[in-house]
Amino acid sequence: MITSRSFFRGCLTLIAALSLVSCSKDDGSSGGAFSGDAASRVYVAPGQKDEFYSFVSGGFSGQLAVYGIPSGRLFRVIPVFSVDPEKGWGFTEETKPMLNTSHGFVPWDDSHHPDMSQTGGVADGKWVFINGNNTPRIARIDLTDFRTKEILEIPNSAGNHSSPFSTENSEYVVSGTRFSVPIPQEDISITQYSEKFRGALTFVKVDKTSGQMDIDFQLLVPGFDYDLARAGKGPSHDWMFMSCYNTEQANTMKEINASQNDKDFIIAINWKKCAELAAQGKGTIMNVDYAHNVYNDATHSATSTIKKQIRILTTADIKGALYYMPTPKSPHGCDVDPSGELIVGGGKLATVIPVMSFSKMLKAIESGKFDKEIDGIPVLNYKDCLAGEVVRPGLGPLHTEFDGKGYAYTSMFVSSEIVKWSLKDFKVVDRVPTYYSIGHLNIPGGNSTKPWGKYVIAYNKITKDRYLPTGPELTQSAQLYDISGEKMKLLLDFPTIGEPHYAVACPADLIMKNSRKMYQLKENKHPHATLKEADTKVTRSGNEVHVYMTSIRSHFSPDNIEGVKVGDKVYWHVTNLEQDWDVPHGFAVIGANNSELLIMPGETCTLLWEPKRAGVFPFYCTDFCSALHQEMQGYVRVSNGGSGQVTWNKK
Amino acid sequence: MKATIYSRLLGLAMLLFTTAGFGACTQDGGDKKEEAPSFMETQQEKKTYGKIKKVDVGSTIDATMAKSGKEVFEMKCTACHKYDERYVGPALGKVTERRTPEYIMNMILDTETMIENDDTVKCLLQEFMMKMPNQSVDEKEARGVLEHLREHAATGK
Repeated sequence: MITSRSFFRGCLTLIAALSLVSCSKDDGSSGGAFSGDAASRVYVAPGQKDEFYSFVSGGFSGQLAVYGIPSGRLFRVIPVFSVDPEKGWGFTEETKPMLNTSHGFVPWDDSHHPDMSQTGGVADGKWVFINGNNTPRIARIDLTDFRTKEILEIPNSAGNHSSPFSTENSEYVVSGTRFSVPIPQEDISITQYSEKFRGALTFVKVDKTSGQMDIDFQLLVPGFDYDLARAGKGPSHDWMFMSCYNTEQANTMKEINASQNDKDFIIAINWKKCAELAAQGKGTIMNVDYAHNVYNDATHSATSTIKKQIRILTTADIKGALYYMPTPKSPHGCDVDPSGELIVGGGKLATVIPVMSFSKMLKAIESGKFDKEIDGIPVLNYKDCLAGEVVRPGLGPLHTEFDGKGYAYTSMFVSSEIVKWSLKDFKVVDRVPTYYSIGHLNIPGGNSTKPWGKYVIAYNKITKDRYLPTGPELTQSAQLYDISGEKMKLLLDFPTIGEPHYAVACPADLIMKNSRKMYQLKENKHPHATLKEADTKVTRSGNEVHVYMTSIRSHFSPDNIEGVKVGDKVYWHVTNLEQDWDVPHGFAVIGANNSELLIMPGETCTLLWEPKRAGVFPFYCTDFCSALHQEMQGYVRVSNGGSGQVTWNKK
Repeated sequence: MKATIYSRLLGLAMLLFTTAGFGACTQDGGDKKEEAPSFMETQQEKKTYGKIKKVDVGSTIDATMAKSGKEVFEMKCTACHKYDERYVGPALGKVTERRTPEYIMNMILDTETMIENDDTVKCLLQEFMMKMPNQSVDEKEARGVLEHLREHAATGK
């Protein structure tokens, strides 16, 4: 309700705000987006749609969030590595296998770097890949139904941070280990780091049609910390570039001990050559255990397979395919410009941003002039590979994205700013503050050959005073800047889930047109599907009871069930018979040590319920589906003992 | 909370019905039992809503079409419709005797348009309180369902 008093007060506030505008500079330093027409630039009117989809890593939530840009509105959180009781992810019988690993069921992870599948170096809107950092895995999310369809564990890796960056046609996604470990694992002293610990860089092949992943080969390299990567493009198509730090090989107090060397490295990997050698049978087969979890669209169910072997290539197996390019100092980001010629290192502790040249690198390799070799990997000369340095860019350069108009944008963590610089002469042309401590940044398509250089989005590590306080933990946050003109302009702050690391974005059209509305009943091959109400039933086999149930606005069939006994394992296989967009039904039963089911139109989901008490218990639909939603419920009778003969009401 | 939401919804629905000219619903949808109410007899002269403007049904039943239509009917319709008794929706055993082929096809294919515009459907909604879902049936399948319902009305099959 707007009372006249509050309206009057609102007017006063507005006038005060307007008068502030007149004396604040137009550089965003006021900390607000008062300037010019910022509000109208991000306003997407009711019923209108955003121009871009943005897929933002959920960080320590383990999930992937979907936002609209420029509005910054959150549309969906796609469960990936962490259980999600709202969607039954990791709780339903169908999805439990997705979170299986060689360590057993793992309900959580830390997801950092979404990357979209590409064709010809351009985002193609088919899949998003994202890494699980803690228990090393890569997931593939299908952008027709915004679901995780595959999770592949990476053996020998320990901290899957440098992942899952895609090659130009998504031939491969890569997985570089952040932490080196004994390979194979063994029970040895941690102080044996330098002689025993190795780094695993894994190349995961992606099937062009199905998107299905499989480990093609794994490189065993010196025991450094492999951090971030980008594949080459155009002339550098065959190469992957990956930053690494801790070339000191410290195993304790890394913040001091891994910050000693003046330069660490970007490792250049000729993946094409490695793949050819692997295909020829080079290297050795190592026995390992890793889970490969695949969700089947026809059965609406996942299976988990523990695979046993991978091909290992050592540096001796692939001579001439690996080179270290020295890079100052503890590099983090490693980004390739749209032409594929320039490789930008983000040295966390460096005072410059080094820009390496791919063509110079090739010349240096050809000349055979190397500083030294580490484990058979030639170390090139820094100056020989250098295209130029961005001098005094700010403090703590991390990541770089490109606008396709000749400029690069680098995030500066320590000095909390985005710095725009020219790819021609490496001169800084603009800088704008971020609030606060920016980590990753993203321009839609900004990692590809075709950036849509209209906005840059800052993903910040600290929010401090930007939002209403919510106790000790504040919202995570992103900031949207207009980069269509010469000067960057802050338009909007918006909250994010988890801690945002990288994000990918692309024009909405690319994805919208393929968006699935439902699952076709006639294509439902779930082994426990009930495709018409006449087939609903309840069966018993020992202490397992299977309920074959259907739901449609607004009833369950059957909705009265008797003969269940305490100690039974009751599997509720619920098929949603709706064939209309946006009509999921829910299912929940009292006392379930489990989640709800949220069943999409045409889908079958299964909830395991193990009743512990005798009595008559309700179950109901949790998703408001119609005017008679409240009536959408049923009862199940649980008995102590008895014949256990199951009965149900036939419709 | 939910009860409140429900009663509000119900209130809203009542308000809609009383203000949107539903005075024309002189009796129930006529589908509790299999008898055609009198006002439905004017159906043939009514304006046709929905994308199907004309359906040519033959003088005989196409058995193949009816068979495939029965499969669709069982999968997508029987959760709410029985042949000879009122269920979530009206009984459909003799629906072809009281509704035009166009009405039936449009109700299946263009459900939202029918609910919004057709007076008969508006009356049925008032009685059954459940908007019929669009079950994403294609035109060929809908034609099969119509044929199945014609066959059922004629033979009880």
